[in-house]
Amino acid sequence: MFLQRLNPSVKAVTIIVFIIFLAMIFEPVTPLLFLMWTIFVTFIFGKVDVKKYLLYFAPFIIFALGMFWTSIVFADTPNHPDDAIRFFGIDFPKESVLTALALTLRILNVAALSLLFVFTTNTVHFILSMMQQLKLPPKIAYGVLAGYRFLPMLKDELKLIHDAHRIRGVNQAKTVKEKWQNYKRYVIPLLASAIRKAERTAMAMESKGFTGDKHRSFYRQFKIQKQDFIFPVLMLFGFMFSYLIAIQIG
Amino acid sequence: MNAFVHVEELSLRYEMHKKNVLSSVNFTLNSGESVLLLGPSGSGKSTLTFCLNGIFPRELDGEMEGQVSINGIENRNIKPGERSKQVGVVFQDPETQFCMLTVEDEVAFGLENIGIPPQEMEERIDYALELVQMKDLKTADIATLSGGQKQKLALACILALEPELLILDEPTANLDPLATKDFIATIKKLKNKLDFGLIVIEHKLDGWTDIAERAILLNRQGEIFYDGPIRDVIRVKRTQLLEEGIWVPRVTQHVMRENPHIENPPLTVEEYRQNPLPVVKRISEPPVPAENNAMPLLEAENISWSVGNHDILHNISLTFHRGEFVAIAGPNGSGKTSLSRLLAGLRQPTKGDIYLHGKPLKQWKESMLRQEVGYVFQNPEHQFITHTVYDEVAFGLRWKEIAEDQAREKVEEVLKTCGLLDLSHAHPFSLSQGQKRRLSVATMLIDDQSLLLLDEPTFGQDAHSNQELMNLLSKKHQDGATLIMITHDMDLIHEYATRVIVIKDGKVAADCSPAELWKVEQGCLEKWQLEQPIAVQLSNIYEKEMEYVSTTT
Repeated sequence: MFLQRLNPSVKAVTIIVFIIFLAMIFEPVTPLLFLMWTIFVTFIFGKVDVKKYLLYFAPFIIFALGMFWTSIVFADTPNHPDDAIRFFGIDFPKESVLTALALTLRILNVAALSLLFVFTTNTVHFILSMMQQLKLPPKIAYGVLAGYRFLPMLKDELKLIHDAHRIRGVNQAKTVKEKWQNYKRYVIPLLASAIRKAERTAMAMESKGFTGDKHRSFYRQFKIQKQDFIFPVLMLFGFMFSYLIAIQIG
Repeated sequence: MNAFVHVEELSLRYEMHKKNVLSSVNFTLNSGESVLLLGPSGSGKSTLTFCLNGIFPRELDGEMEGQVSINGIENRNIKPGERSKQVGVVFQDPETQFCMLTVEDEVAFGLENIGIPPQEMEERIDYALELVQMKDLKTADIATLSGGQKQKLALACILALEPELLILDEPTANLDPLATKDFIATIKKLKNKLDFGLIVIEHKLDGWTDIAERAILLNRQGEIFYDGPIRDVIRVKRTQLLEEGIWVPRVTQHVMRENPHIENPPLTVEEYRQNPLPVVKRISEPPVPAENNAMPLLEAENISWSVGNHDILHNISLTFHRGEFVAIAGPNGSGKTSLSRLLAGLRQPTKGDIYLHGKPLKQWKESMLRQEVGYVFQNPEHQFITHTVYDEVAFGLRWKEIAEDQAREKVEEVLKTCGLLDLSHAHPFSLSQGQKRRLSVATMLIDDQSLLLLDEPTFGQDAHSNQELMNLLSKKHQDGATLIMITHDMDLIHEYATRVIVIKDGKVAADCSPAELWKVEQGCLEKWQLEQPIAVQLSNIYEKEMEYVSTTT
């Protein structure tokens, strides 16, 4: 599985670059073809689980369709009345349909590129690689890593507090307003314990010699190798190809 | 002579505090020496840890006077992070010592900090994990480890850095008795194998006495009031120890209760075995007789509970009668907590029914149910709702139509019982650990529920507040309440419970009186991760000895 073995920083930078490229394209054909290319690459080189992929992709499709619909319905009156596209029994001006389509496909493209990254990258490896390749300061990187460990702990804690308050008879909230007030009541115990935990973790890290200094060695080394350039080249190929076809079609 | 650790006239005061945490602390430690540092909570033990490992004064908000030198170098003259090569600390809370996700990454983290070349790391990680017998968990996720394993991992992380001084800051306070035993045994083994100085910070002495002979004792003001052999202090200053809230080993407590003037009290079961002395045997109360026609208080009928595909409880049937003090014991992850949540009506069983006063829990109105059944969580903070201690207690009266001044009287009475009257305007979160625990008890005293469930209420608390808690609980029991308590503490079961239920793999493995449980054969108890309480062990040894004497003479 080639995408998983890729250097995470290279992958991230490539994806950001192509999102910027896409922002400069205003016709629908390039994003459509490139979208197909991205999904193709995701499945061929990433072996991503189809069901899971569709589940995560679905909200983006709904969002994109909504975007499409609003931008054609609220479009300006057409400059050339003959140049219209007709569907659902309504005439729409061709140019606004095309712009709406371009916009929609751009959203889907950004979604597909992000999912490609998310489904093939280990978060911890990404942070470690950012430290090694992109000069992310260790203070921030290890802060994020420690926080990442905290998330499930906070979730468990929230559940516990919910139960504990219920026992004291305060959680019989029915209305939205009451529920909101209940949540406000959770904030203090949750924050108090989170701050205490964070402080303890910081002390423990420091007593293991962590100073935030950039000069440190790494157990998991991330290097940029030749194979890492295949991915940007592959994507660039797809993009150029889409772009050329779009020009051909006109 | 040049000592390895040299602390001279160390005084420390935090910003916003009037009093010193530590005052004029002086001691030295030779390299490779072991010492027990004892003191009650709030005596500045952890502060001293931070002074020794070089985090203070650099990170201190407050003032520090005096000198702390390690290997001849004063703390103020070292670069940040430099000290971690000489001094390593294992902290109290197993949950918050890690910043990585897997075991190997966590051990590597310390090595990375001090710039060990990557090619050497693998070997040092393996070595460190080998020392604590966790090599087969090298790639495991830290979140899946038990508390005991986490503490051993914390130890491995420190050992990988090969420190000359190891500080253990109440390392077993958040572990159950079995994991505690295992951790202490690991330290003992390492002490024989490797050469490092050791400072064990504790307020309880059980288990540690044969690791170190020397003890340094701190009082509540943060002053050293004793520095010398541990046996002498138990003999000479026993009352002062108790006043300061330092706990002599349970074995010693039991023996000295009967023989208060003994010259050389035993500190461990092994020592007692060599020289048995008479101890009192607690005659356990007979289990509450189930009146035939009386309706049981709480009844669970064939209940099962599963989360997703994971079965947690299988087909459990239990009956609880009025006035019982039931202990629930068993290995970690066997479903004890889940069972208690079901019994309290916080979760619905997947199968089966639970009846309270003969009426299914499902049919109870939530507000009525909460007046019948109380639940005490491990962490008292979770249950606090209001912003002052007074309101917190008064909250329990809101259902009852009581006149203002009567309510005030009642709240003040409960606060007085729990020793919190002077603090009635304080915020619950600003209290000390023991006070928080007492407040959580106060809230349930005023709620006056007839059934109270407790989920390891003594876990992670200091011994002093545990004693206070148990006093309040047994008073409540005498007043006629029914208590169901999850605990790992065999001595608590022995002393207070009238009935004990052992849960193993989601099933009831035993349901009997404590006295009967201790008669179960050793191998079986071990399988349930239980052991005989100290009092039973001692009286068994004594009886055996007497038998031996009577048969030989």
